[in-house]
Amino acid sequence: MNTVDIEQVTKTFGQVTAVDNLSLSVPQGSIYGFIGPNGAGKTTTLRMIMNIFWPDSGTILVFGEELQGAGTDRIGYLPEERGLYKKMKVRELLQFYGELKNGKGLRRDVDRWLERLDLSNWANKRVETLSKGMSQKVQFIAAVVSLPDLIILDEPFTGLDPVNTDVIREAILEIRAQGTTVIFSTHDMNVAERMCDYIFMIHKGRKVLDGTLTAIQDEYGSDTIRIRTEDDAKALQNLDGIEKINDFGQLQELRMTRGYDPQQVLAAVISRTRITSFEVARPSLHDIFVRIAAPEAEEESHAQDT
Amino acid sequence: MRKILRLARREYRASVRTKGFIIGLALAPVMMSGSIIAMVLFQGKVDTADKRIAVVDRSEVVAEMLVSATEARNSAVVYDQESGKKVKPAYLIEVIPSSASDPAAQRLALSDRVRARELHAFIEIGSEVLNPGKDWEAARIRYYGENAAIDEIRGWLTGTINDYLRRLRLANTGVDEEETENVLAWINVEPVAPVSLDKDTGEISEAQSTNELETIMTPIFMLMLMFMMIMMGAIPLLNAVMEEKTLRIAEVILGSMRPFQFMMGKIIGGVAVSLTALSVYSILGIIAVYRMDVVDKIPLEVLPWIFAYMVLTIFMTGSGFAALGSACNDAKDAQNLTFPAMVPLIIPMFLLVPILQAPNSTFATGLSLFPPFTPMLMILRLSSPVGIPGWQPWVGLAEVFLLAVISVWVGGRIFRVGILMQGQPPKFSNILRWAVRG
Repeated sequence: MNTVDIEQVTKTFGQVTAVDNLSLSVPQGSIYGFIGPNGAGKTTTLRMIMNIFWPDSGTILVFGEELQGAGTDRIGYLPEERGLYKKMKVRELLQFYGELKNGKGLRRDVDRWLERLDLSNWANKRVETLSKGMSQKVQFIAAVVSLPDLIILDEPFTGLDPVNTDVIREAILEIRAQGTTVIFSTHDMNVAERMCDYIFMIHKGRKVLDGTLTAIQDEYGSDTIRIRTEDDAKALQNLDGIEKINDFGQLQELRMTRGYDPQQVLAAVISRTRITSFEVARPSLHDIFVRIAAPEAEEESHAQDT
Repeated sequence: MRKILRLARREYRASVRTKGFIIGLALAPVMMSGSIIAMVLFQGKVDTADKRIAVVDRSEVVAEMLVSATEARNSAVVYDQESGKKVKPAYLIEVIPSSASDPAAQRLALSDRVRARELHAFIEIGSEVLNPGKDWEAARIRYYGENAAIDEIRGWLTGTINDYLRRLRLANTGVDEEETENVLAWINVEPVAPVSLDKDTGEISEAQSTNELETIMTPIFMLMLMFMMIMMGAIPLLNAVMEEKTLRIAEVILGSMRPFQFMMGKIIGGVAVSLTALSVYSILGIIAVYRMDVVDKIPLEVLPWIFAYMVLTIFMTGSGFAALGSACNDAKDAQNLTFPAMVPLIIPMFLLVPILQAPNSTFATGLSLFPPFTPMLMILRLSSPVGIPGWQPWVGLAEVFLLAVISVWVGGRIFRVGILMQGQPPKFSNILRWAVRG
């Protein structure tokens, strides 16, 4: 049973095709991660699932039906940018958002979530007094407080410190454990790798990856070497069989030409420097992302840490 | 529907709970009727500094009279009889012998004294004022002052001098003094409303005198009330929707309800705000009318019409303002759109006078049946003591209802697209396209 079934959906804005002939199925109770470069079509897809945008062609079934307004009550939504009434008090606001979803027993659930996310002391404060991270947590509660069967989170970890990231991550896992389906978009590949049952990547409106992490990595094979040497990246220049070096400072990630033997790489590096660590691995999601979204995104990736 | 009402309740609370609403509620009537109140408050606050006026009397019959007339006036009105407080300026007449040789030089010298503030003004009385028919040019009376055109002393002088000259002319023709009073008697034409037959007693009612209060002030006040309600309920929607769009609140709301429900919730919230304010004003107004015992002067029967028109008008204009708000991307866009959007609401203000003068003219009837103007102009005509045909407010109401339905429908189409559209300027062509395509 799938919670969401997207069939050959296309959505254009003027001359721009935001989503192009997309088909996707999200199984019930799964965590589905949406990744893709900025402007790839993630948010448009999420908004179409939410029935905020209507596709130009194709069908979207949620809970086996095409959405007709009230169907959205079973979906919790955290938009990419925070949408909170600044002048309202936190508890009032959460109850109001819950009421718009026809939620039951909201007072109790709001208080439980506020306590869970360490916001009880802010319940009667105005939203405008909250920090960015706190606002993010309030927005998260707004998405989940009505106990929806599907939650859609558009970049839920943006602006959160590691402690709060963990809090939200645990909350998402707990909600999933209760049978709720979770779809979220993220730019954090580590989070996607660790949390998602399925990963979907969209690039220029088209689906380029869809499946479990293992299945996706299997497509690429074990073509990656993670290596630490005493001379860092200097010792790794111009090696045979290496297409690309990702230099992370303390660690370098080498992408081998398909079919090349890692033993030969090992031998070549030993002849140049002392090796402190050597691992033959499947490519990380980050690397796969960069390979697909290159060349534009590849430039940016050098600066990023994994 | 439940969601619409929940959103409306939030809107209502967000507006009504603020200090701004309470202060606005108290201040709005003051601002709107500010000039009237200021006039009443400052009526007695006239400049009481004495006014010295020079008189050059070439006729040689007026100056002496003026001296005694001003003395009589000064002793009668300058000091309040009871409190002894000075309430008006005294007029001090300085008679200047007329210079026959060089009147122009004399005028200049006196004008210099006016400019030097030694004199308030000077008056030059022509030689032939007693027999103006002989030579009108020589019979002119000129009042030279810095603010001569609107100086009230000029009015007093005109009356006093002419009254005296008429008496003098009559006396010269041999009419005795007693008869003069009769000849000069002045009778005002009094304004009264048409009489009607009392169905219960079968008697014809006594003529009711009318005054400015009921013919001008009350209708204008009722129109202002209508305008104020629209200001409170509909116009803020433009900014509110723009803010919800820019703060991305709209996206969260649209995750729970359709754009049309969203817009309706906002409008119903606006209606509730205006209903609250109008109810407060109505209750206070009715109490005041009974306390001041002017029930027969104030057409309280217009109130239900105001309520009915107001509700429909807020749907009509509110949907327009909400739609425009949805097209805006920032406060500047909203600011730019607010005034043009308000023009249809302001135009009726400029039509006040001709409509009040002839509430049943084709002009007045036609304009008040033009739906964008109907709410305000129909209320204006209904509040006027001149009765208007009974079918007109009903037809007007039906028209406004129809336009409100159309406006909500079109507004909904614009809102649906505009609220999620980022970066597109709120150009007329864009808005029109969204309205047509939906």
